[in-house]
Amino acid sequence: MIAGLVQILLFQGLGELVAKFFLPLIPGPVIGLVMLLAWLRIRGSVPASVDLVATAFSQHLGLLFVPAAVGVVMFWPHIRDHALAVAVALVASVVATMAVTALVVRALAKEDPP
Amino acid sequence: MTPQLPAIHEIWVYLSGSPLLALILTLAAYQAGVMAYERFDRNPLANPVAIAIALVAAVITAIDMPYAKYFEGAQFVHFLLGTATVALAVPIYKGLEALRGRIVPLLAALLAGGATSIASAVGIAKLMGADAAIIGGFYAKSVTAPIAMGIAERVSVSPTLTAVFAVTTGILGAILVRFVMDAIGMKSWWQRGFAVGVAAHGIGTSRAFSVHPEAGTYASLGMGLHGVLGAVLIPLAVRFLA
Repeated sequence: MIAGLVQILLFQGLGELVAKFFLPLIPGPVIGLVMLLAWLRIRGSVPASVDLVATAFSQHLGLLFVPAAVGVVMFWPHIRDHALAVAVALVASVVATMAVTALVVRALAKEDPP
Repeated sequence: MTPQLPAIHEIWVYLSGSPLLALILTLAAYQAGVMAYERFDRNPLANPVAIAIALVAAVITAIDMPYAKYFEGAQFVHFLLGTATVALAVPIYKGLEALRGRIVPLLAALLAGGATSIASAVGIAKLMGADAAIIGGFYAKSVTAPIAMGIAERVSVSPTLTAVFAVTTGILGAILVRFVMDAIGMKSWWQRGFAVGVAAHGIGTSRAFSVHPEAGTYASLGMGLHGVLGAVLIPLAVRFLA
């Protein structure tokens, strides 16, 4: 568990460094993600300790963005004033996104649906 | 030692001054959310994150705790977002096998879907008179929340609004995916899964896994690819369009 956490933190640190000095437009953790992914590809398998930590994180990913999202209390009056626009935009956009993605993948995929 | 107990307000002053209160509050609210989610048979409407956000927001409003004060304690949870983002490499790595032979249709669909997500949300919000702060929150809303918040910071829009819109989008996608897919006559599980992963990231993906394993695998691939490509392309798109 600790070995896995150390490796992941190492990649996070590397990613932050690369972001700071070379790619300021991309979030550091995403660069760390890509570097870890490349390393896993080279290695050909996921070390058990890294797998353990990654599974724990992905199971409770939602917990981690609660603190930031609670900031909605500060935006609440603002969101309420635009409630209709926000609601329509969110619903219509997710429907359109799913439909477009599915239609494009179906149009381009060679095989027939099973 | 004096056996005298401190007055209750002293305990309160002590607790609210330490990070402990915010941490307990955050974890307990999330735990309550998870229990409610299980109780309602994992119905997407009982999303544990949405419940946790509502509970914490209600409590800190009720006890008059400023958000900045709450965040001072809760930042220890918040910090792990970056680490969790790096750890997403593992599920993406496991999903890469599923990409084999389908890379062109999947990437094309991802680009089309990602563009649709931003263009439709920003377009509708503008038409309906929302202001710049709200519109900024829509840029990364179809990207998984930890990456979306990183993107929001890079393009100087509110990470908070982005996170809230992302969670709401995930919930809406998980609820609506069945109707949308049936309406366009989409039968193939991997295509249905990929679409919900691209549009509704983690919450859509867990919905896909609960319906069909193949849909789940492709949903998590869609979520992961959208996260990585979104982190590169969304800041560029915002920079050139804004």
